[in-house]
Amino acid sequence: MTDGTAKPVASPAPAQRGRNVAVFLIQYVPLQIVIAALCIFVVSRPLPSPPDRYGVPSFSLSDDGATRTVTLPEFVSSQPSMNEPAVFTGTFTWSAREAAQTWSVYLPRFTNGVVVSINGIEIIDSRRDPSANRSDRATPEIAAIPTSLLRDGNNELVIRLFHWSPISGFLDRVFVGPDAELRPYFEKRTFVFITLPLVFSAWQGILAVILTVMWAMRRGDDAAYGALAAAMALGAIQAVLMTAIDPPAQPGLNAMLIASTPLESGFVVAFGILFFIRKWPRRLGPLIFLPGLIMLAIGLLGDPFLVRRAFLVLAIPTLIIHLLLLAGIVAWSEMRRRDVPSLLLGCGVTIVLTALLHDVIEVAGFIPDDRIFFTRLSYSAMLVAIGAGLTWRFAQALNRVDGFAAHLAIQLREAEAKLKASFAREQERERAAALARERTRLMRDLHDGLGGQLVSIVALSERNTAGRGNGEASKGIGEAARAALKDLRLVIDSMDDIGGDLMLALGSWRDRAAAQLRAHEIALDWRAAPPGLPVYPELRPSHVIQIVRILDEAVTNAVKHAGARHIGVTIETIKSGGSEHGCISVTDDGKGFAIDGERRAASRGLANMKNRAARCGAELELSSGEGGTTVRLQLPLRFPEGDAAAV
Amino acid sequence: MNSPEQVSAQEITILLVEDDPPTLWRLQDALVKAGFDVAAAATLGEARASLAARIPRVLLTDLQLPDGHGLELIRETRARHPNTEIMVISSLGDEETVVSAITVGATGYILKDAFPSDLAATVRDLVAGHSPISASIARFIVRRTQAQAVPPPGPELNTAKLTPREIDILWGIAKGFSYAEIATHLGMSNQTVPGHIKSIYRKLEVHTRGEAVFEAVQQGLIKL
Repeated sequence: MTDGTAKPVASPAPAQRGRNVAVFLIQYVPLQIVIAALCIFVVSRPLPSPPDRYGVPSFSLSDDGATRTVTLPEFVSSQPSMNEPAVFTGTFTWSAREAAQTWSVYLPRFTNGVVVSINGIEIIDSRRDPSANRSDRATPEIAAIPTSLLRDGNNELVIRLFHWSPISGFLDRVFVGPDAELRPYFEKRTFVFITLPLVFSAWQGILAVILTVMWAMRRGDDAAYGALAAAMALGAIQAVLMTAIDPPAQPGLNAMLIASTPLESGFVVAFGILFFIRKWPRRLGPLIFLPGLIMLAIGLLGDPFLVRRAFLVLAIPTLIIHLLLLAGIVAWSEMRRRDVPSLLLGCGVTIVLTALLHDVIEVAGFIPDDRIFFTRLSYSAMLVAIGAGLTWRFAQALNRVDGFAAHLAIQLREAEAKLKASFAREQERERAAALARERTRLMRDLHDGLGGQLVSIVALSERNTAGRGNGEASKGIGEAARAALKDLRLVIDSMDDIGGDLMLALGSWRDRAAAQLRAHEIALDWRAAPPGLPVYPELRPSHVIQIVRILDEAVTNAVKHAGARHIGVTIETIKSGGSEHGCISVTDDGKGFAIDGERRAASRGLANMKNRAARCGAELELSSGEGGTTVRLQLPLRFPEGDAAAV
Repeated sequence: MNSPEQVSAQEITILLVEDDPPTLWRLQDALVKAGFDVAAAATLGEARASLAARIPRVLLTDLQLPDGHGLELIRETRARHPNTEIMVISSLGDEETVVSAITVGATGYILKDAFPSDLAATVRDLVAGHSPISASIARFIVRRTQAQAVPPPGPELNTAKLTPREIDILWGIAKGFSYAEIATHLGMSNQTVPGHIKSIYRKLEVHTRGEAVFEAVQQGLIKL
């Protein structure tokens, strides 16, 4: 039923499955055995009992027309009618000296109903206590004996035991003594066998409400919750709605409530299938409810005796089968998934099964029968397991929601960061575009105005030189205009966005420098192999202008003062450690100069070059001698922001 | 430069168009002294008249002319006289003027203040088939090949036709590497670089449909 029709939702890999089976065999199975052993240990422990001196030693029992002397506990065979009780008659001694304290009669356990009389006056009739009528609950009875009833010396205690088939009547030991001594034992039993089941019934009711709400809110998704809600509701109603048996006010209802047990267990099994297997076996599934429905029919149509008989022969075995089914489903789920709900419910089922088997064996007479049934009590253990399992699921779902929320938050942060970055990029682009626009405008202006005029000056000065005298003056004017043009080109060129690639600026400079040197018939030896210099993303036009002016100055010095014939420019990337920086060297074969400054102009030029180098965070090295001069410009790892270095 | 088709200077006819008299004089002087056969014009009208009289081997023109724009002259010349090499005369060698001239058919530029020897050498190289390209123009072109969100200011330039190899060559020139270094780095022959540059110039020329119609009309292929 569980394996044939149900297909697992997700099949784990064979290796994983093998590991799961191994874990199941070495962890889950021994754990259940330990739990069962613990249960047996707990239920077999004797319940606390009042001191023997308060026990009524012997009774004369008149049952079935015969009278015999008995020592409690005693069983009486089942009777077809509730109107013929077995009558236990005994005596106890009371002394008038004890009148100061109240005496009570205490009956720890009996099935199914008792009427207790002291000296012919009835003080207890348990049949009107609905909970005492239920043989699955070990309801104790205690009653204070009015002092006026008691006589000094022997007193007569008559207990009429009402019992109905098919279970035989049972009367445990009866105690008569000071109320103060007996009542604690009564309270203890009441707590265990009345209060606790009531608490669990209330819990069942709450679970029923919660599960119904869950099922209603997620209709169709979670039929499992619906099934469990039905089981819980049945259990809660059955515990609360109890009628007195004699006389049965509503025999039909009463019978139906008795029949509810197999129905309830059927719903629990349905829950197990839906929750753990996640697929409902269409053909075999409804069979779960068949015994419960039969019980219901019997309860509605049959008389109370038939109902009770059917309960024994149908409901109890059904309960056992259902529990075994549930144990199988849960074990299967534990083997496949190894999750907390399976484990918890597995333990719960083991406890109920152990208790039920204990009760059955006890009723069957294989072990000493004290008519204490643990099934109902242990059922609450399963409730705890189910509640805990569902809470675990719920918390897990919350965790998943939280995890999802956290994931969303992370994604949001990432998106924000991306947005910020793209905003920064956008700003940078806009800045660059604004610079480019400004440069274009400036270029147009300069081209149409200043540029053309400077060219005219150059042309006029040359014409003057070629034509009449005072050539030197004209030549000076021409050179000045040419230098102004060159500077103009440098400024325009530096404003171009070169994306941090200094090589692009040096490329243009090479063109200009080569043209300048050709006029002086000086060869420019350009030594730069691809890829040239590292890229400096932080490079700004101001840095480019400084570097190019340093190089211009170095070349001009070589031409004007050193009388060089060859000028070499070497561009290289120097790798030191993990970092690399650019280095530009200008070498000439001129006559050199002493650095301590015999030529003031040259030394002023040098100071200027060093100053410019410092503004870009670069280092300028100079060496000069007979063989020529070398200017080495060591570029920084990073160019400084703005003009910070210019102090 | 050693070119197989070395032509003597006298055989090279030049039309020089420049409205600033001192500059015109300066350039003409330099070219005449180098032995070229130079015709001069100061306006667009004079230039057209000169072109009608004689088709020059080389056209050197300023852009700002009193009666029109030099770009018109370049476009007309390029359409009617495909064998004429055209260069723009620029005072600053800025991309704004040079690139707009290239897109209508010019092949490079000369600076107005260039030294006489450089002027002559440039014209000779041009005739020999060596189209010069400066680092700053190469830089302008390659920067335009890079995807940009905002269209940059300056003249329109369509670089879509350039091959990756041509763009690599332009990068090399923009960074100041010599032809030999570029050739070695790209694993090609030293001699092929100038050919690539010529091809780059041709690919940057704008050939709109309107122009094609204009050319067809001019060549009498279409009758309106």
